[in-house]
Amino acid sequence: MLHKIKLEKFTAFESLEVTFSSGLNILIGANGTGKTHILKVLYAACDITKSKKSLSEKINKVFLPSGEQIGRLAKRKTVSTEGSVEVIRHVNNPPKPIAIRLRLSNHTKTPDKATVSGAFKQWLAHPLESVYIPVKDMMANAPGFRSLYELRDIHFEEIYADIISRASLPLLRGGVDTPRKSLLEILQKAMNGKVIQKNEEFFLKNEQGELEFTLLAEGMRKLALLWLLIQNGTLLQGSVLFWDEPETNLNPRIMKTIVEILLELQRMGVQIFLTTHDYIILKEVDLQTRPGDDILYHSLYRDPESHEIQATQTKHYLEIAHNTIDEAFGDIMDRDMVRSMGTLGR
Amino acid sequence: MKITADGFEFDFTDAIDVFVFDEKDKTKPGYHDAQMMKAVDLIVELQECYLFVEMKDIFDTDRYIQSQERDPCPRENRQCPHELSPFKRLKELSKYKFHDTYPFRHAEQKVDKPIRYICLLTFENAFNLHMQKTLQQELPVGRVSRRWQSGLAESCVVVHVAAWNRLFPKWPVRLLA
Repeated sequence: MLHKIKLEKFTAFESLEVTFSSGLNILIGANGTGKTHILKVLYAACDITKSKKSLSEKINKVFLPSGEQIGRLAKRKTVSTEGSVEVIRHVNNPPKPIAIRLRLSNHTKTPDKATVSGAFKQWLAHPLESVYIPVKDMMANAPGFRSLYELRDIHFEEIYADIISRASLPLLRGGVDTPRKSLLEILQKAMNGKVIQKNEEFFLKNEQGELEFTLLAEGMRKLALLWLLIQNGTLLQGSVLFWDEPETNLNPRIMKTIVEILLELQRMGVQIFLTTHDYIILKEVDLQTRPGDDILYHSLYRDPESHEIQATQTKHYLEIAHNTIDEAFGDIMDRDMVRSMGTLGR
Repeated sequence: MKITADGFEFDFTDAIDVFVFDEKDKTKPGYHDAQMMKAVDLIVELQECYLFVEMKDIFDTDRYIQSQERDPCPRENRQCPHELSPFKRLKELSKYKFHDTYPFRHAEQKVDKPIRYICLLTFENAFNLHMQKTLQQELPVGRVSRRWQSGLAESCVVVHVAAWNRLFPKWPVRLLA
């Protein structure tokens, strides 16, 4: 389970430390407050336990700085900068926290020149299944993409190739257990079908036949992706799901189902990190949370004086500070009010 | 002019008159004696208009239940609010309170200025916006019939306490403990 991240002079961050819940972590904040960057660092730290890549290489591929110069990930300053990231997780056998760190400067050209330290061997000795669902859908573009990515230098962050790989994994041995079956049924009802794959191409199969993903609404592709990841056993107890802005291309009515699935996955022991700008997601989590659920809202914001990114955490929806989503509604309400009431009462 | 009602304390500093419209105390001159009609909580007379004000502290459970009990099933041609979803019930009550208050005030010959309806609900911004849009459509706000010479409601807004105080600094309000 991922426990904490520390970022020092890395990308947009001057100095930030965030502690996570073992259940559902929801990151909110205005654009440019680093929500996706946190997800990418955490994902890279998880992925290397399976891919056995170096942390610096994976972070470089996931962020894809210009010219793949990893030093560009150090916080931009007029003087030389040394930046670092540290990820801390709890492992079992024996239970203890372990950490890995990546240190780089703005002069570091290649990943092999960046310094990786910490309990790296122990980190790799405890594999952590993880999946990163990016904002943009890639499932319709899956045919041939992975081989193209492997063979050619195309300018795509590695998360796009990774998600296709995860979705294309065959079923786990032993079939689908009951909790996952019930989740699959919820999704099948919402998208009115099941997903099948033929020669790297995905189709939604229902009574009308097989509909290729290119003809499917993007929102439905997201549900289908979730279905695949649950069905093939990528999302199991102990795995980590990163989802960047699930609301993109989804009708708000489907959020009820999405949140239902996310909370059930959390109850099954999947650690989840999601970023959102969406009121419906926040409110659905608030409404569907049961006693015993492990939810933590992280609010990222820029300090008005230093302009640096800071974060607050709360377990309770009504206590979310710096809630830019509610503030946006408040701003609309205020302007609507002025239009309705003019200067009365002012 | 300070006034206390339903767990809220207001100060309408520029008002000509403020009174509890749904007064239950028979000994008071403002007693609402047409019990078959629903009534908004407060009426405020300003120089340029009347404010109809309806308040609900949704999180004060005891007071909310009492207020629901005070609102009997409306007339036969209306769907009983107790059968409705909580949102629709609140919306219907807020709407019918306005709809019954207007003819009462007409009979008092007190509709000589535009009427603005303010609902003070302790919900968050998104919910209040939804309620406001629905009430604006259903009151309705403005002159919606070509045959009307004036509208029933000049405007309708739904706010929580923080928004009220931010937007109406001349009329501070606070929730009483």
